Amino acid sequence: MNKKYLYAGIGIVILLLLIFTIPKYFTGNVTASGTEISGDIAKIEVYHFHATRQCYTCKTVGNYSEETINTYFANELKSGKLVYAHVNVDLPENKELVDKYEAKGSSLLIGVYGKDGSFSKQEDTAVWYKIDNESDFMNYLKGVIEQKFAGN
Amino acid sequence: MGIMAFMQSMGTNGFPLIAAFFIGLMTALSPCPLATNITAIAYASKKIGDGKKTLWTGFVYTLGRMFTYVLLASLIVYVGVNVQAISLFLQKYGERILGPLLIFIGLVMFNVIKLPSLKSGERMDKLKEKLSEKGYFGAFLLGVLFALAFCPFSAVLFFGMLIPLALKFSDGILIPSVFALATGLPVIIFAFILTFSVSKLGKVMNKVQTFEKYMRYIIALVFVIIGIYYTWRVWI
Repeated sequence: MNKKYLYAGIGIVILLLLIFTIPKYFTGNVTASGTEISGDIAKIEVYHFHATRQCYTCKTVGNYSEETINTYFANELKSGKLVYAHVNVDLPENKELVDKYEAKGSSLLIGVYGKDGSFSKQEDTAVWYKIDNESDFMNYLKGVIEQKFAGN
Repeated sequence: MGIMAFMQSMGTNGFPLIAAFFIGLMTALSPCPLATNITAIAYASKKIGDGKKTLWTGFVYTLGRMFTYVLLASLIVYVGVNVQAISLFLQKYGERILGPLLIFIGLVMFNVIKLPSLKSGERMDKLKEKLSEKGYFGAFLLGVLFALAFCPFSAVLFFGMLIPLALKFSDGILIPSVFALATGLPVIIFAFILTFSVSKLGKVMNKVQTFEKYMRYIIALVFVIIGIYYTWRVWI
């Protein structure tokens, strides 16, 4: 008898949860973080954040990103229009950057500075799905950065 | 389409529960949770020859994981706790405690370390007996603790992919629950296969009892080995 009530109670709770939560999935709004950049791009920063101890996948994301930048954006890198760095979140000297980008550990973050002084940042999580194929990874990231330079 | 491309398309599915499920599967199979899940599989399989119990143990372990993930997601979505702070904190300390803890549990199971018996009355003793005998309480606790141990990559999947999803739909309960189910699913499946095949083998050789006796030591050994692995990785 007791158990019956328990099961019924759990059932009702789950049912209520479903009723109140599922509809939200169809009205969820897509929001980008930071302000949208309109107009010309002054500078783009690409940072690979990581902890002192890195996992294999984390190192791969860092290495492939660096290679992408060196291969396709050597000129922008030289002129300072593009900045790339590996940033250790555990080091105190990086705290400002980590807080600015709100890095939550291993992550690839892209920051865009507009000529009007605006700034927007975006974490790219798609790169994590591309580590099994280096050329796919590089093509993807190249496309993302080119789009940012184009102001999209 | 490669497996990763498939996981990506499912993990970014427009319906968040499907996305959460596949992000959970990625998590279950990434190196660090895989190690904790193997420990859990060993734990769930300790009573061989009782498939139903193994299934329940695996399920309760998954509930433990669910507890942690729902708690974290709810704190972030409903209370507004800073994602960055909680993520960096757990990555720093969660894993450090895990290794020594696993070694400790393994040694208790080997009877090398004897836990002092608390003198807390008959009722308390009975409760303790019931819980440890059934093993469900232990399984739940393992789930809670293992879910807290974030490695760099599992943190990416949880804090970088799942939490943004939960925030976007302001759902700190269902999305992390489905995610948790997927992270525990391999444990339920593999523990079941393991007990099923070991008990079959035992029956063929007429030695179920002997197998069961050794099983306890094998599990304790798994705890110690994985504990040493973690300790070595994090501390040395």
